[in-house]
Parts: sequence; structure tokens; C-alpha cells
Amino acid sequence: MSPAGRALHAEWTKTRTVRSSGWLLAGITILTLGLGAVIAASVRFDGCAPQGGQCDIDATRIALSGVYVGQIAAVVFGVLVASSEYATGTIRTTLAAVPRRWLTLVAKTIAVTGPVLVASLLAVTGSLLVARTVLPSNGFTPAHGYPALSLGDTTTLRACAGTVLYLFLIALIGLGVALIVRNTGAAIAISLSLLFVFPIVATLVSEPRWREWLTEWAPMTAGLAVQTSRGLETMPVGPWQGLAILAAYAGAALAMGGILLEVRDA
Amino acid sequence: MTYASTVSSHGAGFAHLLRAEWTKLRSLRSTWVCVGLTIGLTILLAYLAGKGNTTDANEVGPQRFFAVQLVHRPLTGDGSIIADVTNQEDTGPDAKSGLMITGPITAPTDSTQKSVGGKTAASTSAAYAAIMVTPGHGVQWQSDFTEEASGSKGSSPRWLKLTREGSRITGYESADGVTWTQVGTIDLAHLPETAEIGMFVTSPPTGVKTVRRSPTSTDSSPDYTLSTAVFDSVHVTGSDGEPLTGTWKHLDTDGAPRELPHDSVAGSFTQDGDRFTVSGAGDLGVQQPGTGGDNDAVRDSLSGILIGFVAFSVIAALFITTEFRRSIIRTTFTATPRRGRVLAAKVVVLTALAFVTGIAAAVPAFLISQPLLRANGFAPPAYPTVSLTDGPVARAVLGTGLVLALLAILSLALGALLRSSAAAITLVIALVLTPLIIGPFLTLGGEAWLKRVTPGAGMAIQQTRERWDDAIGPWAGTAVLAGWVAVALVAAFLQLRRRDA
Repeated sequence: MSPAGRALHAEWTKTRTVRSSGWLLAGITILTLGLGAVIAASVRFDGCAPQGGQCDIDATRIALSGVYVGQIAAVVFGVLVASSEYATGTIRTTLAAVPRRWLTLVAKTIAVTGPVLVASLLAVTGSLLVARTVLPSNGFTPAHGYPALSLGDTTTLRACAGTVLYLFLIALIGLGVALIVRNTGAAIAISLSLLFVFPIVATLVSEPRWREWLTEWAPMTAGLAVQTSRGLETMPVGPWQGLAILAAYAGAALAMGGILLEVRDA
Repeated sequence: MTYASTVSSHGAGFAHLLRAEWTKLRSLRSTWVCVGLTIGLTILLAYLAGKGNTTDANEVGPQRFFAVQLVHRPLTGDGSIIADVTNQEDTGPDAKSGLMITGPITAPTDSTQKSVGGKTAASTSAAYAAIMVTPGHGVQWQSDFTEEASGSKGSSPRWLKLTREGSRITGYESADGVTWTQVGTIDLAHLPETAEIGMFVTSPPTGVKTVRRSPTSTDSSPDYTLSTAVFDSVHVTGSDGEPLTGTWKHLDTDGAPRELPHDSVAGSFTQDGDRFTVSGAGDLGVQQPGTGGDNDAVRDSLSGILIGFVAFSVIAALFITTEFRRSIIRTTFTATPRRGRVLAAKVVVLTALAFVTGIAAAVPAFLISQPLLRANGFAPPAYPTVSLTDGPVARAVLGTGLVLALLAILSLALGALLRSSAAAITLVIALVLTPLIIGPFLTLGGEAWLKRVTPGAGMAIQQTRERWDDAIGPWAGTAVLAGWVAVALVAAFLQLRRRDA
């Protein structure tokens, strides 16, 4: 087996055999699906538009809203892949076995990618199916301007594919931050802050320019712009453009983590 | 010779324990990093909240309201109207039921009509004078949006009388319909010879009705409730002193059926001999600005503690999880076999540090944001100047320390329970922050419920003025958070006692 193959195999074995991995991957699917179902079941068309009026609820976004909590499992999964080795000291063994450190980084990235993509795919398709069943009974019917959610629709397809990619990028942010700070608690706190702080700050300011800026450049809100299926023209950032901003965050975190892995003593 | 420990097994023991725990906390390098981050982030967010919030609450001028349900008939020349307001529904202190004389009211056109939150405020050029009872302010006299006078403090039942002699209009009140007291009088020079005279009912909004249009947008409109009043023994006397008979007309400020976009609060009336039941909603008179500002700028400037707390939760959880990871906990428990006391000592030490940190963050946050907010329009009269010594502000600032302390203990207890910093930190951040993120996706009721039952309810202690979206009161919210802390602590204590370290 080639060195790259061995490195990858080693990382995969670690991921597979750590007890928390299974829990967290299940968490991505269950939390996303569960919260999405609760939210889809709780919204009502007549609560949104009593006695006529305009309802601006985006059914696709509602269907996939479970990702707001599911992403916590994804980010922690990404963090633990790197930080648990620092906590136990196994990282020295790992780096002794694979002296080319960038290879370890690549192997870890791939070990994160595969499982997270699978869990996310399950979460997203499941959420869509649930919402497709639940939303029409809450008044989100074709008569009210809400056709049944379907992957055949390009915006829905974009939202679903984008959300899978979103969860994957979020896990990479966790991995990158963990490589930078090398401490589980700190890495989780920092990456969760990176996700949640901007939207919370946005609720504290009233100036539209500030809100727009915070929505456009925050990893979470920019990345989830990909879920938008109505009112696209009023969004400060386009769907793929937003996901690209998130990818830039993930890339920067990973690159910085990789550089520090190369230059620092373990 | 038997060995006897020089350390007392109780009493002084707890003081030693406190010192031991404080030494551990003090010498963890990350403690001071986290304390610094908590204070720094809170102040930074206060600066952002000060810079990024603007309001035009003070630029709204006084608004004239002439939106009433009027039951009227013409009166030529001198005359009077008397009625016994036997029953006025209390829909708020400013609900108005009474008698009015007015010139012909022109139907509002697009140029004269001003829609205020879905309620037509017809601007009438006609002169008017009115005497009325209110549930909260007794008998009131009002004319032409300017003249106002107060009568007795009593509300309904009350007899009211309005008389016209030439251009002089006078309003009287009476408890029995026999002895009359003058409340107000005015010379309405431009009242035409034939005026409209009758009974009116109106009721200003008592709150704001909000509808969620999407997770990012809500529509708010004044919440009008129809007030109903009963006018008994109504009689109108003409210039010859004889009672006038004839049909009454029913006007909703202008006689035109009103179309309201959000809520239909069109009034109505029924007549039974000389007894009239009238219901209406709207307002009469001038509403001064100053009640318009409903943003809680102080709360917004202190909310950064939530972000600061993320940093603090790390140290709070590590305070116990580090001991498990490094097995120092065994030494600790050997030194103090009563594990509950160890937990208690940790709680005391951490509470003190968190409370002081919270105050050290909140005081500068308040002082920095206030001048910025004033410069952005949060100034008197809509936003009165506030200082640290005001009751609600002091409660918010001290409460910030309290909330940080409670949240820190929650992190500590979860750390003791789960014995993993990753799990404890993730769980506590998720419990506190995610309700804020997913709340907007729920209905307004669902969001309020979420804000009431999650640990974040404790943030309510930062409220300094009432708002329509307050989910829970300051102390009730703190109690909810304290409940979470109590349950987590008890679970942690039982777990510590039961399980091997």
C-alpha cells in the first residue's frame, strides 16, 4: 500500500473506532431531520398571512432549517478528528508514522469528508421528504403559491446539494480550527462562535447596512444563502456566491491549520 | 502513638477547600485568557450595538386623531344634548365615550387621510368640542385638538351634557342628572349654524399586534379593541327648549365604510328608544411623540455577555473536566472525601469570579454604548437619559453578573456530569445560543415559548423597558435559568457520589 493509502487507512481506522464519531455522525442526521420536522410542523400559512396579505416564508428554507442545529454535530466531529489526538498525545505517534505532515492533513480531511457527506445526504433528503409531507397540511399548498417540494425543481435541488456541501464545509472549519488551537474545548467554542455570533450580533443592530454586511460575510448566513428559493433579488449575497464565502473560511482555517501543523512541534 | 491529622475535619476545612479550588482556578492559564475574552467581547459588542443602532423616534411629530364611532343628528342654532353613560367597557385607560358637537366632517380623500397603522386618522377641518368619560382619567373635555380640561376622577356611570349658545360650547358632568358641574367651555367661532351633535365611542390601541411574515420579517400594527358604551336617557333639546325627535345617523368618523387592511374594527350602534349602545375604536385628540420609542437600547448594549459567555463557558467546564482528564480529581477527592463539598467549593469560587467578570464587562459596556446611542437618536423625549443608578439599569448591570455566574455554574455542572469538556461546552453553547438562531423559524408563540423554557430565559434580567416581544419577566427568567442550574447541580452531585472518579 502506498504511503498515502496507509495514511488514509490509518485516519479512517481512527475515525471508525472512536466511539464519539458514530454519535456525532448520527447527530448530524437526527438533529437536522428532527428539528426540520418540528419547524415544518410548527409553521402555518394562515399564521403568516392572516386575512390575506403576503407570506414571505421560504418553504425550502423551512424544510432544511434543521441544519442550524445539525451543524453543531458536524463542527464537533471535525474538531475531534484533530483535537482528540492532541489531548491524548497520539498525534506524536501519528506524525512519527507519517513524517510528511501535509499527507496527514490530507488524510484527515478525507476522513472527515466521506462520513460527513453521507450523514448530510441522509439528513437533507430525509428533511425534504418530511417537509414535503407536512407542509401542505399546514396551508403551504400550490393554491397559496407553494408547489410541492421536489428535487426536480432546480432551486430545491440547489438548496439540497448546497446544504450537504454546507455541512461538509462546517466540519472542515472545525478541523481547521482544531489544528490551530489544538484544544478541544477552545476549538469547539471558537468554531461555534464563528457560526452563531454574527447572526446574534445582527439582531442587536438596527442599521440596515450593518445587518446586510453581517449577513453577507458571516460564515453561517452566507453559506446558507444557498437554501434560498424566493426573494433571491433581495438577498445581499447570491446562493453559490455565499457558499463560496463559506468555502473561503473553511479553506483559510484548514490552510492555517496545515501551516501550523508543518511548522510547530507537536 | 496514634497519628492525628492537624487539619480539622469540618469548619475550617471548607475555607481551606475554597483556597485550594481558587488556587487551581487562578493558576489555570486559560482562566485569565477566558476572563479577558469575556470582558473584551462584551465591550466590543456593546460598541457595535451603540454604533449600529439608529432611531428616528424623536423625529415623529405629534399626530392628530379623529377616528371615532359617531352617532349623530343635526342641530340648528342653540340647543343641548344630555346622556347618562351607564356603562363603559374598560378597554384601556384612554378609551373615550361621550358627547360631541362638530361641523360637517368631510369624507377623507387620499390627500386628507392619513393611515396610521391601518387605522384611518381623518384630518377634519371642522371644529369640534367633546365631553367624555374615560376608564383611567375620569371626565375629560376636549376641543379642536388643543383645548383640554379634566373633570371629576370618576368613570361611568356618569351623566354628561353639552350645550350650544351661539358659538359658545360648554360641557357639564353630573352624578345624578340633576346637579351639573361645568368641565370646560370654548368659543367655536367657525362652527356652522347647523352642526352635528351626538354620542361617540373610541378606544386607542392598547398594544401592538405582530405577524411573522418570514423568519426575517415581522409586521407590527396597533392592536385595536372595540370599546362598547351604553348611553341611556339620551335627549336633544332645540333652541325652543323642546325635545327634538328624528332619526340618528351612524358615522365611522366620516360615514364611509372603512376598510382596514389587517383587522376589522369597524364600530356599530343599536338604538332602543332613548337608549343607545355604541361601539368603536380609534382615538380622538393629539398623540404626543415620546411613547414611540420601544427599543430596549440598554438591553441591546448588554446582550454581548452572551458572546462573552461562550469564552467563559470554556473555563467553567475545564475547571472540573481538566481534573478528570488528568486524574487530579482522585487527589482532590482523597484530600476531601466528601465530594459534595468539593463541588460546593468549586461552585462558590466560580460564582465569585463569574459575577465579578460579568460586572466588569457590563459597567464599561453600558458606559461606552450610552453616548453612542444618544448620538444615534436614542435621546429624550422618546428615550429618557438613563444612568447606572436607575433601578432597571442597575438590575440589568448587576443581573449581567448574575446571569454569567448562573451560566458558568451550568457549564461546571454539565462538565461534572459528562466528564468531557467537548460534550459540556457543546451542550451549554447549544442550549443557550441555538434558541436565538432557530426561534425566528417558529411561530411567534413558539419562539416565545422557547425563550421562556431554555436557559437563555435568564437574559430577561437585562430588560429595562417593556416590549411586545418580551417572552418572560426579568426575575421569572432568572428563576428559569436558576432551575436549570439547580437540576444540573443535583444531577452532578449524585453522579459524583455514585461513580468512581
